[in-house]
Amino acid sequence: MAAKRALIMHPKDNVATTVEELQPGDQVKTAGGGEARSLSAVEAIPFGFKIALEEIPQGATIVKYGETIGKAGRPIPKGALVHIHNLEGTRARGDLEGREKR
Amino acid sequence: MSFLGYPRPDGSVGTRNYVLVIPQGLISKSICDFVTGTRTIHTVDHGSGRTANDRERIARVLIGLGRNPNVASVILHAASPGVGYPELRVERLADEITAGGKRVEVLDPVKDGGVYGSITKGMQLARRMVYEASKLRRVDVGDEHLCLGVKCGYSDTTSGIAGNPAIGYLFDKVVKAGGTAFLGETTEIIGAEHFLAKRAANPQVAKAILDAVAHREALAKSTGLDIRTINPIPANIKGGLSSLEEKSLGAVHKAGTSTVQGVLQYGERPKGKGLYFVDCWMGSYSIFAGYAAAGSNLVMFQLGGGGLAGRDLMEGSPSIVAPFLWCTANPRTYEMAKDNIDYYSGTVITDGEDPQEAGERLYRTVIDIASGTLSKSETLTHTDAIDLCLEEPRF
Repeated sequence: MAAKRALIMHPKDNVATTVEELQPGDQVKTAGGGEARSLSAVEAIPFGFKIALEEIPQGATIVKYGETIGKAGRPIPKGALVHIHNLEGTRARGDLEGREKR
Repeated sequence: MSFLGYPRPDGSVGTRNYVLVIPQGLISKSICDFVTGTRTIHTVDHGSGRTANDRERIARVLIGLGRNPNVASVILHAASPGVGYPELRVERLADEITAGGKRVEVLDPVKDGGVYGSITKGMQLARRMVYEASKLRRVDVGDEHLCLGVKCGYSDTTSGIAGNPAIGYLFDKVVKAGGTAFLGETTEIIGAEHFLAKRAANPQVAKAILDAVAHREALAKSTGLDIRTINPIPANIKGGLSSLEEKSLGAVHKAGTSTVQGVLQYGERPKGKGLYFVDCWMGSYSIFAGYAAAGSNLVMFQLGGGGLAGRDLMEGSPSIVAPFLWCTANPRTYEMAKDNIDYYSGTVITDGEDPQEAGERLYRTVIDIASGTLSKSETLTHTDAIDLCLEEPRF
């Protein structure tokens, strides 16, 4: 079966965006962001969602567009879906900093 | 390159040719219901109990819409004859719109024999003014007369990959030609503000960008909430966006690569041409009214839509006087809502279309619509009510 496609926006990125629906075990070939990479999806990933290009330890920075989009809330295996269940936003976190004085 | 537009006395050029009847309410609606070629604003933000700053924001929108290049002439009515807030008095609005070189007629129920009298007089005036406006002919003008405004919404990962980059290409091309372009939505540059700040025309502009973001982020934190419970909105998350930073980094692609000339308040007209950032929230309806008030003669909604289902019919124009385009780069959104979509760039993702060629296609679409081809949303008479972007508590 032909490899499915995912797009890397910047060479520094550790996630790619899927442009096809992925099933567990699907082979993925990346485009963009330097040399093409091959990996396999470890779980189902819908169109337009992100796949981890490498193992991302808990607390490590998640990078897309060459910039920080958040940090790993738990360890993320290579080939896994990266979304709100394992990516924590780092900006405008009123819940972490508490209410500021108005 | 060039488009066909209506030249105005102040040197601007319209892509449409309306008679505007403002502010909102029974008088304006009655006139517009009866007279073709007219436009009014549908909003409940009339200023009562609002602070001076917010009343000034409302006044800026009304004056700015009156001065918009797509408006041939204006009918104003005195909402509260003689007793209104100073910012919103009809004499003030009339003076500032007239300063732009346009014919302005004023209705006053006290002098016209009540609201019925003003409606009758207004209908008669509006018919004559629309007839006069119809005698104007479009002429060939340069792209420096384009003034574009964009918002991205229901964003998903296609927005940052292929949707916003096409807008960015268009913005670069129009700015290079001497035109003007607006982007806004301060919350949605949180995490990407440094991209815009490093392209600021001078240190003051860079500081204004960073200050706008710092102010908005502090407000967000003061809620005690994770911003992710508010923005990205559920449709963004369902479309694959995982954090505000990710959304912002995709969103700033619509700015292209031009220098940011300044930061504008909601509805504020720029002093020069080029790319401007408008400090406002994301409201899908309020933002376009703000762009139109700042002088936009064409506005665009870059739609992700990955988290949308069943939306085969979209709302009509929320910009009041500026033609409104729906753009998308999501293949499913395009299939679902083809009747509404003016421009599609998902081909960059699915067929490997060169992003530059996709940008050129958008440019040609914009020129066609600026020259008189209707945008899909303009084929609807329905327009949604607009909540103006007001910032302060009401009392």
